[in-house]
Amino acid sequence: MLLQSIVNGILLGAIYGTIGIGFSLVWGVMNIINVAHGGFIIIGAYLSFAMFNQIGIDPFLSMPIVMLIMFLIGFLIQKTILNYVIRGSVFLTLTLTFGLQILIYNVCLVIWGADYRSIKLAYSAHSFLFGDIVIPSVRLGVFGVAILLTLLFYLFMQKTKTGIAISATALNLEGAKTVGVDVGNIYALTFGISAALAGAAGSMISPIMSFNPFLGNPLIAKAFIIAVLGGLGGTGGALVGGLVLGLVETVGTIYISARYQELLAFSVFILILVVRPQGIIGKRFY
Amino acid sequence: MKKKTILYFAICLILLSLPLITSGFLVRLMTHIFMFIVVSSALNIIAGYAGYAAFGNMMFFGLGAYTTAICMERVGIPFVFSMMLGGFVAVIAAVLFGTLFLRLRGHYFALASLGAAEAVRSIVDNLTELTGGGQGMTISSLDVNPAISNSIFYFAMLLLAVVTVTFVWWLSRSRLGYGLMAIRADEEAASVMGIYTTRSKVIAWSLSALFTGLAGGLYAFWFSYIDPPTVFDVMWVVDMFVIILIGGMGTVIGPVIGAVILEAISEVVWSNFIELHLGILGIIIILSVLFMPKGVVMLARNSKNIGDFLHGIKINREISV
Repeated sequence: MLLQSIVNGILLGAIYGTIGIGFSLVWGVMNIINVAHGGFIIIGAYLSFAMFNQIGIDPFLSMPIVMLIMFLIGFLIQKTILNYVIRGSVFLTLTLTFGLQILIYNVCLVIWGADYRSIKLAYSAHSFLFGDIVIPSVRLGVFGVAILLTLLFYLFMQKTKTGIAISATALNLEGAKTVGVDVGNIYALTFGISAALAGAAGSMISPIMSFNPFLGNPLIAKAFIIAVLGGLGGTGGALVGGLVLGLVETVGTIYISARYQELLAFSVFILILVVRPQGIIGKRFY
Repeated sequence: MKKKTILYFAICLILLSLPLITSGFLVRLMTHIFMFIVVSSALNIIAGYAGYAAFGNMMFFGLGAYTTAICMERVGIPFVFSMMLGGFVAVIAAVLFGTLFLRLRGHYFALASLGAAEAVRSIVDNLTELTGGGQGMTISSLDVNPAISNSIFYFAMLLLAVVTVTFVWWLSRSRLGYGLMAIRADEEAASVMGIYTTRSKVIAWSLSALFTGLAGGLYAFWFSYIDPPTVFDVMWVVDMFVIILIGGMGTVIGPVIGAVILEAISEVVWSNFIELHLGILGIIIILSVLFMPKGVVMLARNSKNIGDFLHGIKINREISV
């Protein structure tokens, strides 16, 4: 029972890691809390759902297409809207992304309605058995993709010129400008990558959870918690934050009655913010 | 000057006589607007003057509403005293959370206050014996006919709005108010100049909580039914932020103008395109942040005619990366 919960927690935590990486990237580099991140995940899930329903593409295969679409959406939003207020106060960016979130929510509601949707794959029922532990193959596949994306993102930030330019912009804006980094474009790329990761998380969610437009708000609450747990300290922090949240959610159900879980989660959240605002790992930047 | 006096006099006269001329819809709409003037002006104290994004302010609204309801229904205290207790409980919450959170800067404070509001909602939800939990609470309404009760709440909310706006006006030219504006401009410098920054911020948030809590109490009695998802809804705080953004942060009259504009638009949208309500609100938020981040009041103050006004919008667009 306990072992099974731990396995479930790790499988879930990898998706949370993907959500957290995109969210804390934007926060760390541009100092924007993107409340619309939950909305991006939902759009990703619906895009996968639409492609599966209309032309029968498996969500694992449609994920790159979804990521490309979301990258373009994110890039354009940053270029045409957020770049104009990025030097403004916390309220402006926070309120603006909230406006974006409720707009996305409303658009999804008009197009797809409030019904719960999910993707039922031919191999949904298949699972692997290790002793007493059951691992559904879809969840294992999603886990593998999430870890792969995390790795690719890590390599991108460390090895490519663009990745290094993003880190440089985050660390020292004036310095980055001096050596010829086009900050406006870097910001747009950063936001695009974050949106693409959100879209990928949406594709991952679509075959394993049922979703509707309302799911955006609980997801954004989770993104807050992951970012605060992991700090803004790069790929590792977000992955750890995601895994911790996944484990707490699944293992916690054994020990704590469901009615107090929410209270406990928010209390831990507040405690970490007050005591260790730099997160559990606490390394700054990428 | 003479013209202005006459204008103010006319506005006062219309506001005071409105429930006598008309009833029902318009009176309720105006009561709504007054309520948003109260809560947005209250948020303006901490967010507009001190510059701290208190995204958890709906917790004071909910605490005020629930304290009032519990005192009236479970203890039997008359409404006015219950409402004051509601304001008091909200202040206590602000002092407790403020001492913890107001050392955090920027986004961290915004997130911590949001988390605290969710935690408080969860507590209220779980104290089933006291609060009725998810079933909510019913408060016995005034034993008069609806038209008279509408007028009573209209005048009560008007009074609260006038008191709040007057208080913020006084605050804006008091020692504390200047201290808060100094904190907003540069917290380190303010601290060096001898302002007790954390203490000033806690006082500011407590004042914000007081008026929000009182408004919550009045809301509970007015609607005579409350439940946790309604009174602790994050959309309250979003509306408040949009109102002070549209009107102008850190100005006395900004929240008043913002509340009138937003509620009037909301009313039109609600009655005509109910399923697009949130989307249109989202577009309004994006456009107002993009084109007039300092609000209508500041734009109007810096421009003599419509040409200057449009030029101001253009300049705001050009300050980018």
